Amino acid sequence: MWRKFQRLASLGIVLGALAVAQDRTSTLIYGGDWSDLITLDPQVAYEFSGGLITDNLYETLVKFEGADLSTLRPGLAESWKVERGGDSWVITFKLRRGSKFSTGREVTAKDVVFSFDRAIQLKGPSSFLFTDIAQLKVGGTRAVDPYTVEVRIPKTASPGSFLSILTFNIGGIVDSEEVQKHAKGGDFGKEWLTNNSAGSGPFRLVRWDRGSQVLLEANPNARLKPKLQRIIMREIKEPTVLRTALESGEIDIAEGLTPEALKAIAANPRFKTLKADSLRLNYMGMNVKPGSPFANPKVREAMRWAVNQDELVSGLVQGNGVKIQTIIPKGLLGYNNALPYKYDPARAKKLLAEAGYPNGFEFELLTSTGLCGGGIPCQDIATKIQSDLAKAGIKANIKAIANAEALKIYRAQSHQVYLGGWSPDFPDPDGNATPLADFTAKSLAWRNVWDDATASKLANQGSLETDPSKRAALYKLLTDYALKSGPYVILYQPSIPLGFSAKVEGYVRNAQGQVRFENISKLP
Amino acid sequence: MSGRGKDFPVPAPETLNPIMLSYIVRRLFFVLFVVWGVTFATFFIAQVVPVDPAIAALGENAREEQLQEFRERYGLNKSKLEQYLIYMGRLLSGDLGQSLRTGRAVAEDLREFFPATLELSLVAFALAVLLGIPAGILASLFPNRAPDVAVRILALLGGATPVFFSAVLLQYLLAQRLDLLPVQGRLDGFLFPPPRVTGMMSLDALLARDWTVFLDSLEHLILPAFVLGMFSAAILARMTRATMLEVLAQDYIRTARAKGAVASSVIFRHALKNASLPILTLLGSLLGGLLSGAVLTETIFSWPGIGRYVTQSATSLDFPAVMGVTLLVGLVYALVNLVTDLLYAFLDPRIRYT
Amino acid sequence: MAAAVNAPSDRRSRPLRRFLRNPGGLIGLALLVLLLLVALLAPAIAPDPIEQNILQRLSPPSSAHLLGTDQLGRDVWARVAHGAAISLKVGFGVVLLSVLIGVVIGLLAGSLGGVWDNLLMRLTDIFFAFPSLILAMAIAAALGPNLGNTILAVALVSWPVYARLVRANVLALREREFVEAARALGVPQWRLMLRHLLPNTLTPVFVQASFDVGGAILTAAGLSFVGFGAQPPIPEWGAMVSETRSYIAEAFWAPTSPAVAILLTVLAFNLLGDALRDVLDPRANA
Repeated sequence: MWRKFQRLASLGIVLGALAVAQDRTSTLIYGGDWSDLITLDPQVAYEFSGGLITDNLYETLVKFEGADLSTLRPGLAESWKVERGGDSWVITFKLRRGSKFSTGREVTAKDVVFSFDRAIQLKGPSSFLFTDIAQLKVGGTRAVDPYTVEVRIPKTASPGSFLSILTFNIGGIVDSEEVQKHAKGGDFGKEWLTNNSAGSGPFRLVRWDRGSQVLLEANPNARLKPKLQRIIMREIKEPTVLRTALESGEIDIAEGLTPEALKAIAANPRFKTLKADSLRLNYMGMNVKPGSPFANPKVREAMRWAVNQDELVSGLVQGNGVKIQTIIPKGLLGYNNALPYKYDPARAKKLLAEAGYPNGFEFELLTSTGLCGGGIPCQDIATKIQSDLAKAGIKANIKAIANAEALKIYRAQSHQVYLGGWSPDFPDPDGNATPLADFTAKSLAWRNVWDDATASKLANQGSLETDPSKRAALYKLLTDYALKSGPYVILYQPSIPLGFSAKVEGYVRNAQGQVRFENISKLP
Repeated sequence: MSGRGKDFPVPAPETLNPIMLSYIVRRLFFVLFVVWGVTFATFFIAQVVPVDPAIAALGENAREEQLQEFRERYGLNKSKLEQYLIYMGRLLSGDLGQSLRTGRAVAEDLREFFPATLELSLVAFALAVLLGIPAGILASLFPNRAPDVAVRILALLGGATPVFFSAVLLQYLLAQRLDLLPVQGRLDGFLFPPPRVTGMMSLDALLARDWTVFLDSLEHLILPAFVLGMFSAAILARMTRATMLEVLAQDYIRTARAKGAVASSVIFRHALKNASLPILTLLGSLLGGLLSGAVLTETIFSWPGIGRYVTQSATSLDFPAVMGVTLLVGLVYALVNLVTDLLYAFLDPRIRYT
Repeated sequence: MAAAVNAPSDRRSRPLRRFLRNPGGLIGLALLVLLLLVALLAPAIAPDPIEQNILQRLSPPSSAHLLGTDQLGRDVWARVAHGAAISLKVGFGVVLLSVLIGVVIGLLAGSLGGVWDNLLMRLTDIFFAFPSLILAMAIAAALGPNLGNTILAVALVSWPVYARLVRANVLALREREFVEAARALGVPQWRLMLRHLLPNTLTPVFVQASFDVGGAILTAAGLSFVGFGAQPPIPEWGAMVSETRSYIAEAFWAPTSPAVAILLTVLAFNLLGDALRDVLDPRANA
C-alpha cells in the first residue's frame, strides 16, 4: 500500500515539475515563521512579518537604502526641508511627479494627508510613533499643492525622530480614493486593507491564504520595477522543516534556521547563508525594588560575573548573535564595545558575600515559551544561565510561560528577573537609551524599578542633543554607567539566520528588518 | 434494507416511523445541549486566566490608553456575567465574537481554517479505513498465524507511538533523506492555488479541473494524513479483528463453512455484515477524534487548519477563538455521533429508540 | 449477600494462570517492571539530568553518554531515566484522579436515579463530546503550564468513561437478587453503595484504567510538546522531544530516545490492559 503511495507521489512530483518549470526563475519563495502576521494594512501592521511585506507594497516619503540606517534617502518625496515655524517644526516634502499606485492613479499630496491622518485615527499598535513620539495630530499634515506636503509637529518633538519614523510601514502612502471606496462604517478601509493592497510599492498583494502563504505580484504601474514577477511568503514555523524545504528546493530563502542547519547549509555549494544584523538585545532585567536582593548593586554586578556569556554565545547562540554588554546595540550611534565582565563564579561569590549573601540566594527567572533572538528558544537560554548561576551559589527557578503572560507580570513590576528581548521602536539610540535608563518613561527602567537620577538625566540630554559627537559622548557616559550599576545583564545581540539557494541574488536586509524585494533576482 | 433482513434475527423496519422521528428530534436537542455545555465550560475556563488579553494582543510596547481602549472595544472590562450574556446573545445570532489575536470575526477565521482540517481528517480517515479494516479482516482469517501476528504487532506500535514523533521522524526520513514527499504546506509554492470554493485544496483543484494542482495537493496530503490516521488505523485493525473473530466463531457461520461455502463469500456475506455494527460506532468516534487530534499534526506540518489556529490562540490566550474552535469541533463531534447512532439504529432494528 | 463479593477461591486462581499464559501480558508486565526499576533507581544508575556541558552539545552516544547529549550538552540517558518517574506520576496521577471523579459521579447517578441521574449523565455527555486535547490545552493555558495542571487538565477530560462504566454496572447490579434482598432487609442506601455496588464495579474500572494510563501519558506528552506541560529543565519526555526535534538531522538520538521511552511505556500499559481484559472479563474478547 505504502509503496503505491510513493509511486503516486513521485508521479505527481514529475508532473508538477514540468508544469512549473517555466515560472521558477521569475518566482521566489521565501519561507519563514510568519505566524505573527495579522494584517497587511500599513497603518496597522506592527509585527515583523507584517512590516517585511508591507514595506514592499507601499512606498514611504523617505527611506533608508541598503543596510545603512544613518542617511535618509528620497522615497516618494524627492526632497524635503525642516524649518522652525513659531512654536513648531515645519517639514515640507516635495513629491516626485509620475509615481503611480497599483490602481493606476498618481500619488499626490492628498494621499499623504489621508495616510498620515489615517494612521492617527486608526489608533493601531504603532500609532504611538506618530502621536507620542512625533506628537503629530490630525490636521497637522496639509497639502499645499498636489506635489507639496507640509507637516507641523510641536517644538518639543524631534524632527529627526519623525523622519526616521517615516521610513516605517506606518508612513506608507495608500491610494486614498481606492481605500475610501472600500471604507465601512468609519473604519478608513481598515477591514479591506487587511488583505488587499493599494500602494505604489514594487509589488501588489494578490492573495493571502492565512496560515499558509502570501502571494505578491509585480505592480505593473510601479516606479521601482522589480526583477522578479512573483514573491511567495510561505509560512513555515518548524526550523527542521524550513531547512528541509530549502534543501529540497521547495523554498528559495529560509529565515530562522538553527545554528546547526545554518552551518550545514553554508558548507553546501548549492546554498549560501547570511547572518543579518538586528538592533535587538537579549537581556535579563532584574527588579531592584527595595527588599529585593537585586536592590544591592553588588548583587547585580555579581549576576553579571556569574553568567558565562562566552559559552552562551559560542555554544548555544553559535554565531547567530554577537557578544555585547552595554545597552545601545551595535549599528546605532553611541554603541559602546566595552566587555568588562567575564565568567568568574568566585568573584561573583565574593561580591555576594560582601552584599550579605555568603550562601547565595534563590530567585524566579521569568521567561517566555517562545523563541528569543537568533532562533534560540528562550527556555534554552534560561536553562543555560541557570546552570552558570548555580556555580556561583545562585539558584534560579525557571518559569517559562506564554509571552503575553510573562509580559503582564513584567509590566506590573511583579517579576524578580525577566529574560527576554528588546528592540528599539525607531533606529536611533534614543529608542534604547530612554526606555532602558529613564524611569519616568515608564518602560524597562520603570519595570525593573530602576529610578536613577543620573541615568535619567543622561538619557534626556542625549535625546535632545543635536550635535552627533556631543551626543555620542553623552551616550558613552550613560552606557558605562548602566554597565556598572544598571539592572540589566545584557546577553547578546542576535542576528537573523538566513539560508538561500545559490541562485538568489540581491538580498539585503537592514538592521530594522527591512528588505527591498525589488532588488532580489534569481539566476536560471 | 429488507434484503439484509435474513442476516439478522429480527426483520428491519421499512421506513422512518414516528418513533424514530421523535428520537431524531430528541437527539438534535441533545446536540444543542452538548454544544451549549461546551461553550459554557470553555467560558468558565477562560475566566481562570490570570492574564490580560489586551497585553497578549497589543504586545510589549503598548501604551496604557491603547490597552484601555482595547478592553473597552472587546467588553473585557464588563462583569463576567455580563460578558457571558453578551456572548450567548451574539451566539444565538451566529456571531462567535472577535478574535483578540487576529482582530477578525472568529467565524471568519474558522471558515478560513476549518476546510483544511476537514480535508486532512477525511483523507486520514479514508487511509485509516483502507488500512485498518482489511488488516483486521486479514488477521481474523489467520488467527495466531503470521499475518495475524504481524497485524497485531503493527497495531500495537501504531497505538503507542506518539504522533508528534512519528510526524517529525517520517518528515525527516521520507521528505528530507529520501526526498520522496514534500515536507510542508498544502501545495507547491510554484503552483498557483485554485480559486477558493470549498477551501479544500484538492477538491477545489478538481472543481477547477486543474490536474497538476490536484495531484500536487494529494501529494502534500499523504504524509500528514498518514501520520494523523495511523493511530485510528491501529484501533480499527484491532477492533475489526476482535469483532470478526467473535462473529466467525458463531454457529451459523460455522454451519455455512461446514456446508462448504467458499471462504471469501462466507466472510463477506455473513460475517462482515454482522461485524459492521460495532465497527460503525467506532468509525464515528474516530472521525470526531481525528478532527481534534489534528492539533499536533497540523503544528508540525505547517497545515493551516483549526488545530494550529487553536494552538496559537491558546498560546496568546485568545479565548474567543479557543471557544469558537471548541464549539465547532464539539458540534461536529456531536453531529457525527448522531449520524452514527441513526445509522446504527437503521441497520440494527433491535435498538429501541429511547 | 457475601456470595457475589467473595467468589469461590478456585475461580480466583484461574485468572492468574490465564495471565501467565498470555505472552502479551507478560511482555507488558516485564516492561512495566523495568520502567519502575528505572524510575526508582534513576539517581543511582544515571548521571545528573540537568548538568550542562554546552561545549559537548549534540554529541553522539558514547561510553561517557550512553544516549548522547542534547542541545545544551545534557546527558540524554540521564534525562530519559529521570523522566520515567515523571511520566509514571503523570499517568497514574491522571488515572487516579479521573477514576475518582468518574466513580463518584457514576455511583451517584446510578444509585440516586431520577433527576440526579439525568443531570449527572448529561454533564458526563458534555465532557464526553468535548474535543479532549483542545479542552486540555485550554485548561492548561488558563491555569498556567506546569505538570500539576497538566495532570488536572487531562484528568478533567478522561473521567466520563468511568462515570458511564460505573453507572451501567450499578444499574445492572441493582436488579440483582442480593441487592434487592439487602434493601428488603433495610440496609441503608449509602451502605449498599459502598459495600456491594462499588466492589462489583471495580473489575471493569480496573481494566479500563490499565489502558488509560498509557493514553494519559501520551496526551500529557502531547500537551508538553506544544508547550502546555512540564517546564524546563524538567526531563518530561514529551517536552524533550519537543525541545530537540529541530536537531533530528544532526542528533537523531536526542528526540528519538524519549520518544522510544514513551512508546515502550504506552505499549506496556496497552499490553497489560489487553491481558487483564482477557483474563478478568472473558466475555469481552474471544
